[in-house]
Amino acid sequence: MSRYFFIQSQDIFTEVRTNAQFNLAKSLAKKGNSVSILLVQNGVVAARKGARSAQMDALLNDSVTVLADNFSLEQREINVNNLKPNIKVSTINVVIDALLNGDKVIWN
Amino acid sequence: MSNRKTITFAFMDPPFENERTVTFFRLLDAALETGANVKVFAYEGAAALSFALQKAHGNAVHGRNETDEDHPLTKNWIAALQTKAASKDLQFDWVNCGLCVDERGVNECISGCGRGSPADLLRYATASDNTLIIGTR
Repeated sequence: MSRYFFIQSQDIFTEVRTNAQFNLAKSLAKKGNSVSILLVQNGVVAARKGARSAQMDALLNDSVTVLADNFSLEQREINVNNLKPNIKVSTINVVIDALLNGDKVIWN
Repeated sequence: MSNRKTITFAFMDPPFENERTVTFFRLLDAALETGANVKVFAYEGAAALSFALQKAHGNAVHGRNETDEDHPLTKNWIAALQTKAASKDLQFDWVNCGLCVDERGVNECISGCGRGSPADLLRYATASDNTLIIGTR
């Protein structure tokens, strides 16, 4: 089993390629790998409770850990209480932790 | 011998244009804060991040002088990270892609940053515990 850590900066609502990116994350998780995603920049927009995104909802129903960067949330005035269930708020330090742990860290 | 871990970053975005640049610098700061040595290979537009002739400016349209505007310069952010690394006895290495520098005419970089080639990225990555490549897409 490998550990994958995706940094998701691209926004589901404006970048078509996020479909493939999320599908890859789900596929890796289904194969038994440990998969985490940190939403940063406009990537956090789809984390809002009211955001209509089948992709994000599907991801949250899979065994993928989804985190949202606190700085990116604050920049966009997205309150932590207004996030979809199963999304945890995190600092960007998790990326460094993943790199130091030897995870495969991929920027999207 | 230090048992501190080392992370290499490759980055290609120019200063003043994209939010990725801010996120990139946040990652560098977080790495140093965690106690890791940092190596940076800056290519394409990122070769201008350490350009020594960057200048702060006022904004006459908004009626602000240079001090009021407090325009952030990436060369100063790099210098601040160099200082932070030194205070923690960590390595902070920065190489700009030479061809990218020449293309943009940004040869004068701040002290502590140097000129190299993609071979340095391989050298950095080989000597590091992990590498993060941040592409423009």
